[in-house]
Amino acid sequence: MPDPILTLSGVTKTFGGLTAVKDVSFSVMQGEIFGVAGPNGSGKSTMFNCITGIPFGPTGGEIRFKGQRIDKARPHDIFRAGLSRTFQKDAEFPDLTARETVALGGHYGAGLRGQHTRDAVEEALDLCQFEPARRDMQTADLSVYGKKQLMIASALVAKPDILMLDEPASGLTRPEIAALDDLLIKVNAIGVTILIIEHVLGLLLSVSQRLLVLNNGAVLTEGDPKTVIRDERVVEAYIGGAAA
Amino acid sequence: MTRTQRLFALAALVLLAIVPFFVTDSYTRHVFIVAFIYATVAVNWDLSLGLGGLFNFGHVAFFGIGVYTAAILTTALDVSPWIAIPAGGITAAIAALIIALPVAKLQGIYVVLVTFAFGQLCLQIVLSQGDLTGGAEGLVRLPYLTIGDYKFIRDFKFAYYYLALAILAVSVIVLLLIAQSPFGKSLRAVRDNPDYAASRGISVARQRVLVLVASSVMTGVVGGFYAIYLRVASPEVFGFSIATLVVSMVLIGGAGSIIGPAIAALALTFATEAMAGVRGMEEARFIIVAVAMIVVLQVAPGGVVDIFGRLLGSGRKT
Repeated sequence: MPDPILTLSGVTKTFGGLTAVKDVSFSVMQGEIFGVAGPNGSGKSTMFNCITGIPFGPTGGEIRFKGQRIDKARPHDIFRAGLSRTFQKDAEFPDLTARETVALGGHYGAGLRGQHTRDAVEEALDLCQFEPARRDMQTADLSVYGKKQLMIASALVAKPDILMLDEPASGLTRPEIAALDDLLIKVNAIGVTILIIEHVLGLLLSVSQRLLVLNNGAVLTEGDPKTVIRDERVVEAYIGGAAA
Repeated sequence: MTRTQRLFALAALVLLAIVPFFVTDSYTRHVFIVAFIYATVAVNWDLSLGLGGLFNFGHVAFFGIGVYTAAILTTALDVSPWIAIPAGGITAAIAALIIALPVAKLQGIYVVLVTFAFGQLCLQIVLSQGDLTGGAEGLVRLPYLTIGDYKFIRDFKFAYYYLALAILAVSVIVLLLIAQSPFGKSLRAVRDNPDYAASRGISVARQRVLVLVASSVMTGVVGGFYAIYLRVASPEVFGFSIATLVVSMVLIGGAGSIIGPAIAALALTFATEAMAGVRGMEEARFIIVAVAMIVVLQVAPGGVVDIFGRLLGSGRKT
């Protein structure tokens, strides 16, 4: 059994009187692809934000990454420690090219300089199958899928231990989702642990080795994806609603 | 910065370097010198405002701190103007560091309020410490620059012209290098998407502190030069008029472009000087500058450098 790389213990996030994440506990094991599902407003993205500290950390509980507490750490330090994330909405630096965007992750995240940065940039973009002809385009001009690839490449350039993806399939076509599926398998195969939040259940079931379902900010169930989606509580809270 | 833009900047520098051989009257040279001073303040403001996206409305206070540093050092302590001018850069940088600490974690309107209050605080300190600063009357009869027996005020300000141009050229070159460096790119990243920038290992607060300090150094130096050149330090340097004029230069020129504010500074200084000589336009000229700023921002939000970029068929990217 691999060791846990990321552990949440009793994580809670409140906004005034609203509790968005309630006492959430789970562990992500080294090298696995761990999926998180849940209906809209279930607290998936809030939990993601709590883990990375962007834009806020948790109100209570404990988060450990590679054994070290990170729930009070600064966001840029969390990335430098090896925990990287993407965003649900297209995040971009519109004034920078694709290469420049990825290079920032290498320079500030991994402390790379000069030729080492340039080599790491090409390696990350190659891994994400980002077309060479588009690498000097400004990111504002890229397609939705291009921006998703770029977000992943700019995370991978620093050689993270874990990659956290917040609804990466949103806004993508079926062929693009299939390409993303292949990319995640490939990234995982080089030793990067993946934590993925996704609405597109097909992608989650296809890539996840374990699945956790959140509902109303709390953990509903966790386990083998195929078993989890048959759980009556999940059907009622999430899949049943979608099916109806 | 594209090759075309680099060639344009080099050509402009060469052209400005030969101007004194054709423009020999003291007044026109004086207008050029003032334009170079404003241009230096504007391009450095562009670093924090345009590239860094920090709504720092206390930038002109760094200029004023440079002015009073040079004035106090030369009058109260009898320090050489050659030392007093760069000392303005040091005190401005220290002031920037102090104001950067609270500003680094603020957003939007709160940055404006704190930095604006900082400028007013500097003004009140100058006014209240009359024994040292001369109070509302300021300090006058500052020593002029000399090299050996040569006085810079000779030859229709010939040497002052080149010194002012050199300060501007150094500023522009350093800022262009910064803009192309990973630090400059991180500033644009922090400006456009601070959460994404933090998620890629960039410390947003640290970059904001650094950009404020970096933008203050040459602003303070040119403030010191301004005091020594005019031989006066007046509390007006902390006033709203200079701040409005310089921010107009940044916005009309093109925020984030570095070259644009320098071009706008030259154009606006000459335009306002020309209008000052027209009866009835003495005060109205500032209204015209404000209207010009609104028109340019409506027609080309990227400023005049954006218009030039389109004409030259290249992007606006620094």
